Amino acid sequence: MKTYAFKKGMPGFRFTFVPHPITGIPAELCNKYLQGSDPLTGKPVLGEIIDAITRPLSAEDASGGVIERPTPRLVAADTEENLHKLFLENGWTDGLPVVLPTEARVAEMLKGTSHEPDEVVGAMQASSPHEAWSYTVEQVAVNAVMAGAKPEHLPVILAIASMGGTSISTSTTSFAGMVVVNGPVREELKMNSGIGALGPFNHSNAVIGRAWTLISLNLGASGKPGEIYMGSLGNNYNYNNLCFPENEEDLPEGWNPLHVQKGFKPGESVVSTFLGWGFTHPDQSFGKPFHDQIPFWLKFVSPFSSTTLLLDPTIIKQLKENEGFGSKEQLIDWIHKNTKVTVGAWLDDYYAVQNFVLPYGRQGQEPLATWMKMPRDAEIPQFRSPGNINVLSLGGGTNFFWQAGDFGYLASASVDKWR
Amino acid sequence: MMKRLRLLPGCALVAFLLLAAAPAPAPVLADDAKVAVLNPLGQPPPIARVPMAPRLDSLDGKTVYIVDIGFTDTHQFFTEMQKLLGERYPKTKWEVRTKTGTYFDDDPKLWAEIKEKGHAMIMGVGH
Repeated sequence: MKTYAFKKGMPGFRFTFVPHPITGIPAELCNKYLQGSDPLTGKPVLGEIIDAITRPLSAEDASGGVIERPTPRLVAADTEENLHKLFLENGWTDGLPVVLPTEARVAEMLKGTSHEPDEVVGAMQASSPHEAWSYTVEQVAVNAVMAGAKPEHLPVILAIASMGGTSISTSTTSFAGMVVVNGPVREELKMNSGIGALGPFNHSNAVIGRAWTLISLNLGASGKPGEIYMGSLGNNYNYNNLCFPENEEDLPEGWNPLHVQKGFKPGESVVSTFLGWGFTHPDQSFGKPFHDQIPFWLKFVSPFSSTTLLLDPTIIKQLKENEGFGSKEQLIDWIHKNTKVTVGAWLDDYYAVQNFVLPYGRQGQEPLATWMKMPRDAEIPQFRSPGNINVLSLGGGTNFFWQAGDFGYLASASVDKWR
Repeated sequence: MMKRLRLLPGCALVAFLLLAAAPAPAPVLADDAKVAVLNPLGQPPPIARVPMAPRLDSLDGKTVYIVDIGFTDTHQFFTEMQKLLGERYPKTKWEVRTKTGTYFDDDPKLWAEIKEKGHAMIMGVGH
């Protein structure tokens, strides 16, 4: 709160706290909290409220002006040991050792792009209410070095940075990012889309995903726990953001890779980002067609969310050849039409719906307003539109397995533009 | 800035002889050698300071708005606050309002009402 108020131009902003959370607690407990003390200051809550609106302002609180915060290009020279300690203590790493970004290493990294070091790549914010920090090609290269990347990885990393989305949102819900790479660059970087693609077995998969985390921390002002980052449980995917290349080679005819679905040409190299919370490995019934099992597996996904299915090539082959789905889009349409939730469950059971969806329904936005008036046992689509459903090809074809998650698509960017 | 470098013992002569044919081996830094590295941070924007609203010299006869940002199932917290403050400061009018939309949405209509009719505002943020 203090940091946020400072960034909004009111360093002396006055606030008080009660024990947390207050959602769903009875009036009696609210009363007790309000008549109690601020857990941080130990002072009575009501007294702090009255003080905040009656205590005269200091001259500083009443003044205007501008606070500049320039970022020095260099960190004060020190021993390697001390610099590693400094980076760790300042929260500039993900907790794992980094490669120190010396002038020579950054200069070498910059050979991976034709863009000038001082070109502004984009801006990133920890979440929509927070300030956006801007960054240059060189500053992205610094973080790429730290992640252990090589110059040939830089165009992919710059493309991710150019989209401006953080992988470490402030949200108490503990978001994570996901990176999907498409096109020829997958082969150039020898990325792994086959056996163990999501595991720790491939340098490119590892460092590209890790670089997004370091960029989010250092260039996007994200990820200071308790100050900017409020994810209560945190998310282990934040270490490398599930980075993988889509298995395009095993897609059957009619099933387009993600970047083609998003309007790019098949021969273009593209990176796409997603945001969500987790994936699960659903059990399956071999006596039932795969598509019939999907609605049951997706019950855990909130209707507010999107969903992403990571399908092994063996599953896709079955869906195409034995179950009649000639494209990803056909499967997505089927899922949209056949995955339902009751109005009662939608209205009552989903925290996110109550916070982020129903307010718009109350303002008359359709179809939300109509859904809110329907009988509680009526069924509505679990996912608002087919655009909330994503299907990706991944894996080595060793068995009929897949994963289902609540990740939603964010954006795609050309890698070629950053070569 | 000068860097204090120390080559591996016994390697200096070999390095010299091979200079014409191959790249020189990378020097090994002494443990206490200082290294210059680039700052990994991006550029924060300047902060425009906002002068805070003058405080009230007295609560008597004033109208203070209590604004609920609308997070699910927290409205009772704000009505309890209104009740308690009303008991302690009966000469003050305590008005509870819920901001429209989700907590990401602005509510200019409410802000206009508070500017016109209120003397102060207490906003509850959180869940």
